[in-house]
Amino acid sequence: MMDELELLKKDWQKREEHLPKLSFEQIYKMIWKKSSSLVRWIFYISIIEFTLPHLLYLIPSVREQGNFEFARRLGIEGWMVAITVVQYSVAIYFIYQFYKRYREISVLDDAGKLMQRIFRTRRTVKHYVIFCLSMVLLIFALFIVGMALDDNLVATLDLHGKAEQMDPQRLKLIVIGVVAILGVLFTAFMGLIYFLLYGLLTRRLKRNYWELKRMEA
Amino acid sequence: MNKELEHQFVTELENNQNIVHKVCSLYTDDRDSHNDLFQEITIQLWKAYPKFRGDSKFSTWMYRVALNTAITLYRKSKRRPKTRDYDSVIYKISAEEYDPTEEQQLKLMYSAIKQLGDIDKALVFLYLEDKNYSEIAETLGITEVNARVKMNRIKTKLRTIINP
Repeated sequence: MMDELELLKKDWQKREEHLPKLSFEQIYKMIWKKSSSLVRWIFYISIIEFTLPHLLYLIPSVREQGNFEFARRLGIEGWMVAITVVQYSVAIYFIYQFYKRYREISVLDDAGKLMQRIFRTRRTVKHYVIFCLSMVLLIFALFIVGMALDDNLVATLDLHGKAEQMDPQRLKLIVIGVVAILGVLFTAFMGLIYFLLYGLLTRRLKRNYWELKRMEA
Repeated sequence: MNKELEHQFVTELENNQNIVHKVCSLYTDDRDSHNDLFQEITIQLWKAYPKFRGDSKFSTWMYRVALNTAITLYRKSKRRPKTRDYDSVIYKISAEEYDPTEEQQLKLMYSAIKQLGDIDKALVFLYLEDKNYSEIAETLGITEVNARVKMNRIKTKLRTIINP
């Protein structure tokens, strides 16, 4: 049948004269504006995700009286140093990977490839965040083991008052329980924030990506 | 980047701005978003311009960058109310140009196209721009056969809308 679509095509081409028209100056001004593209947003958020856990160590109170002092008393200091070294090496590796993939993103690729590259770049950061969250859980687990093996938790924790009169075994269980719950909650909370942010940012991209994938299926 | 390159780029874009406006009119609903997307496409074109070797026409090269920006890179601002005060596709048509049924059909089709998904819109756009299937496939990164199949489905869908 003839084609309403041919009609549409003709009409579409005729409509050009009704389109807005920008001047040389207007366009010239635009090329100096900052892009607010998805890729740029992903870049900024990834940088925050990479640096935030490390910036925390720069806060003096976290560094000085925080984990390390406590870890020393529990006798797990060596482990903590090892974990920190691993954490920084892995972070550097991920940052390098991220940068490499970020550079590969090109608006000149076909749409499918472009989307794939964006996802790959983002996935690098996702893996890094999963790694960080696992590390957080590991550190909590380490403290729990340290506390479980500690013979005099009251002294180690420097507890006073009621705690001193409590049954040491019961106290240990309570403290360990609280630390375990805090550890899981903290990790879950961080994970939730991350996945929400990531999910919202790439929702449309994902939808379009699957639309393309479905065509190929 | 030197002045000459800037001048050359802006002139080329000025002469071919229709392509970008058409993409913007399909993917946005109001004038602010239209300008927003136009700007983002311009930035992306400018960023990629040094890689434009001139082995294809400037306009051909623009289709890819403009569509990639619209369906992949552009982030719609959520703050704007979703009013359709500026229906850029359905421009005012002088009534004497068309017979009423034809005009009605066109209107229906344009509003149906506006409701398609981002990828389908890209297909329709390239089709309306008289691109062949191999170009469409290459721009979107799908096979030619699939581009054809999908386009046929969209055509059928559009036909049922105007001839229920």
